[in-house]
This record gives sequence, C-alpha cells and structure tokens, in this order.
Amino acid sequence: MSLIAIIDDDPDIIEATTLVLKSKGHKIITASNPEDGYELVILNKPDLIILDVMMDEPDDGFFLAQKFRKEKVKTPILMYTSVSKAIGFEFGAGEMVPVDDFVEKPISPDEIIEKVSRLLN
Amino acid sequence: MQELKPKILVIDDEKALREGIKSFLENESFYVEIAKNGLSGIELALKNDFDIIMIDMKLPDIEGYEVLKKIKESKPNSICIVSTAFASIEAAVSSVRLGAFSYIPKPFSPDELLFQLEQGIKQRKILVESELLRNEKEEFLLEIANEKSRLNTIIESISSGVLLINKIGELVYFNHAALNKLNWKSIQIGEYILERLPDELKNILKDFLNAETIINKSITTQIEIVTKGVMFLDATCSAVLHSDGSFAGVVIILKNITGFKKNEFIKNQFISMVAHELKSPVLAALGFLQLMQDEKIKITKEQEVDFFNRSVQRLKGALELINDLLDISRMEMKKKYREIVCVNINKIISNIIPIFELEISKKNIHLALQLGDNIPEINLDTSEISRMFMNLMSNAIKYNRNGGYINIFTKLESNYILIKIMDTGIGLKEEDKGLLFNEFFRAKNKLTKNISGTGLGLTIVKRIVESYQGKIELESEFEKGTTFIIWLPINNSSKNG
Repeated sequence: MSLIAIIDDDPDIIEATTLVLKSKGHKIITASNPEDGYELVILNKPDLIILDVMMDEPDDGFFLAQKFRKEKVKTPILMYTSVSKAIGFEFGAGEMVPVDDFVEKPISPDEIIEKVSRLLN
Repeated sequence: MQELKPKILVIDDEKALREGIKSFLENESFYVEIAKNGLSGIELALKNDFDIIMIDMKLPDIEGYEVLKKIKESKPNSICIVSTAFASIEAAVSSVRLGAFSYIPKPFSPDELLFQLEQGIKQRKILVESELLRNEKEEFLLEIANEKSRLNTIIESISSGVLLINKIGELVYFNHAALNKLNWKSIQIGEYILERLPDELKNILKDFLNAETIINKSITTQIEIVTKGVMFLDATCSAVLHSDGSFAGVVIILKNITGFKKNEFIKNQFISMVAHELKSPVLAALGFLQLMQDEKIKITKEQEVDFFNRSVQRLKGALELINDLLDISRMEMKKKYREIVCVNINKIISNIIPIFELEISKKNIHLALQLGDNIPEINLDTSEISRMFMNLMSNAIKYNRNGGYINIFTKLESNYILIKIMDTGIGLKEEDKGLLFNEFFRAKNKLTKNISGTGLGLTIVKRIVESYQGKIELESEFEKGTTFIIWLPINNSSKNG
C-alpha cells in the first residue's frame, strides 16, 4: 500500500482515478490546483504524484513538476494531459519536463494501475 | 516576278567609249546611264541608286580618285569599278584602298567587262542583303530593348520578390521587392548568391542546380526572415529553360505570407482550446463509465447513481459547448441566416424571463424589471437578441448568491437603447475584467469552482452586440456583483439589404 497524490483541476477525474487506485489498496490524497498540490506533497510526502497539466492555471502542471525537482523532491511523477497533440506537447517523459512518465488521456483503469505499480517499484 | 535590270553608271570623258559601253550593255539587258565628267558623275551617282559605277581615272574636271571617294562616302554599298589607260599596280592598290571593288585596265574586251560586272553584281547583292539584315537586326534589338524595359517595369512593380539565378548560382536578374523580402541591403547582377540565401531555399536551389534531369515542377518552401519582427515568406522555385530546352537557371518568387500565418496561428490556437474544452467533459464521463464497467472495482449503488448523474451532466456540458461553437460559427457567417425584424427589446426581455423562473425561485433571487416605456422598435434578429439576454440572465443567476438580486433596466438614450443587467453575484477581480469576453475565459477562484460553463457565453454576447454596431461594458466589484451595460443603436445599419 502506497500513498498517492492526485493533482488535477477536474474534480470528476480526481474522483474516478481515486476509486480506481483505492481498489488496489492505495491511500489517496488530492488537490485541485497547483498551489494546493504543492502543499499537499510537501506536507504528506507521498510515494507517487499523479499530475495533470492544468493548462488553464497560470502556474501549470509543468511549472509544478519543475518546482518539485528544483526543491529536490524526488517522488516519481506520472504526468497526464488531455490535449498534448493539439498544442504540440509531443515529447517523452523527462525530455522537456522532469517527470517519470507522460501520457495522454484517456487512460483506462487497467492502464493507470499498471503505470502506477511500475512507477512505485 | 521580273528581276530588275542591274543599274550601271559609266563615268568616262571619252564619248565613243561611254556610248559604246552603253549600247553594248543595254543589249546585255543592263540599265545604263552615262556621265562625261567627274562632277556630273557624282551628282548622278548620289541621286540614284546604281548597282555598279564605272569610273575612269582620268577625267577632265576632277580626279577619278576624288569621284570614287565621294561616291563611297555617301553610298558605301555601291560597287565601283575603276578603269584607266595608265594601268599600274600602285594605281590599282590605291583605288582599292579607297573602296573600289576592282580595277580594269584599258583597253578591255566586252567579255572582260561583262566578267567584272557579273562579279560586281554578285558582291552588290551580298552587300545589299547584309545591309537589310543589319537593319532588321537593329530593329529587332530595339524591340527587344523595349520589351525588356517594359518587362523590367512590370517585374519591378509587383509586390512579390523575383530572383533569377543561373546554373552556377550567380544572380542574373532581381527586383527590389526581393531585397526587401530577404532583408538584404544590396546585391549585384553576376554576384554568386547561392550561399547568401536562407538554408531552406539554398537546399532546394542546389537540388535544381545539381539535378541530372531537369526538375520539371515548382518547389515551394516557407522561410522565416527575422528583422524587427518575424516575416514569413513563401518561396517558389522553378527551373528556367533555354529555347532549346536545356537548363538555364532557376527563378525564385518570394511572397510575404506573414498575415496569413498570423491568422493560421490564431485559428490553431482556437482549435487547441476547443479540443481541450471538449475533451475534458468527455474524459470525465469516460472515466466514470470505465470505473462502473470494471468489475474489479467495487462501488456502492449510491456511488453508481452519483457517477451516472455526473457523467450525464458533463456530457450535457459538452453538448452545450458544441452548440455554443455552432452559434459562433453561424455568427461568423452571419447575415446569411439572419432574420431581421422590427422588434421591441422590452418584449424580448419579458418573453425570456419565464424560461428562468424555476432557477430564479430555486436560488430565491429577487428579480426587478425597470423597462423604459418609450423604447422604440429596432431592426434585429429576434433569436440572436434572445440568445444575448439568455446568456446574460443565465450568468446573472449562476454566479449570484442565494437570495440575491437581479435588476434589468432599459432606457432610451439619444440614439441608443441602453440596457443594464445587474446582479449581486461573486463579481470580478480587477485582473479578470479585461479577459472576460475572451473565448473560454472563466474566472478561476474559490467562488467559481463549482459553477459550470463553456467559457463562450460572453464571447457570443459580445459578438452579437458588436454585429449590430453596439457596445458592451461591465462594472464589477469582487464579491459584490457585476453589471453589464449594453448600448444598441436605434438607426442600426444591420438592416437586411
């Protein structure tokens, strides 16, 4: 059992993802904007961060990921986005942002479970 | 066609000889004139166009050499045959130097004379023809020069840049638009410019120059020229051929497509935003559905109902967004589908209120109408203006507090109908006010967190108002409320036709 932080501005996505991961026995904590997400991670030191790009926010998911790495937070980050292709975010994990995996939504429950367990090992 | 008789002039002071030659040659089908001294000979020669002029060296008035000189000066194409009784090599040489065709010593036999004349006539023909050719060539060259200057003027006056490069990469021709486009100060005809060209263009050009068989199509590339700003150029290269079909060089046409690029960028940005906004609700609904579908994940009956409802809600949101997008695109193509009628704004407002009654009473909102009684009818599309009010009303309710107020106010103000829609909702922060009418902008703070919307409602309102040459403004205080103020011109020119 691990502690996983989900940071996403869509409450429905948070809820669905939470349930999927809870079914595997993980403990989930959530935040709906980068600011709260930062505090959540610093305070709770989760084993994994699932981070949305949150392009509507002024300090978006990329910014937050960079901030974590700058502050030596080494927690693995699974970053996901809804429109990587349309806005030219076509790069692999770690290429432009310091994350461990970078995927485009949608991600099926099986997929997310698989990715999470891989990053946790 | 009857060939003209060769025209001969005989200048000789010996009467018997010149008369004899005349009658002999006339028998041989020549046209002959005679002169008995140098001056009258010159006069005749200059007045007429003789093919051959026979000049006796010893004349009573002036020297035969003088006559020859004078005639050759003004009629260089005439054939002069010099005859003399005092034949000498020196005399022959000096007369030929002065332009004589040949030299015939006296006495001469008729055959000798005929032979000389025939040779002379042949030469005369060559001279006349070559003069004709020379004249033709000059005319032709003049025409080419005119054509060239005309072409220069045309090419210089077009806004596209033109560069012509020969097969070894040297500049053959250019117009100044090309210099401007490439941001070059100067270039020289004959300069090797291949290496000076932007890389993309250089590579294409090299393909053309190094091709084993001539590249038979135009190749276009886009290049960026960085000056004060960035200029985008469309460069088209095509092979130029000699008249025999061999490769001569390449012509490059440069077009400035910066404006087009800008529009394209705006369009792409809009599409990205739309994609993002449309994908979010679909992803959320899909997430819930997949969750419910997955048998390994246990959820309660209560959760299932909740996820179901929320999926429906999100999909409805997506649909609403699609409808808003369709409205916007319909507005872009406006007038085509517009039904302009003379309507009273107050009436439209009164018709809309009942649609919102349920929501108003749910939130216990107090609605007050202050509709001016002298509002004139104006030309509008009823469904468009209804849409405008519905978007504003729905915002006024959505962002209002429970038990809040909405005031709708209309008034005639000189040439405008003034409309105010005031709410006691969450209001706007100063930094959000300017962004409010932007596509997909939604103020993000703890107060708006649970309010759904497409982010297109006010964009649509603004477009409708402006399409009637109206104006929309807003006054707002954060956490207090917002008032939208609209002016619609009475004598609006958006009347059909």
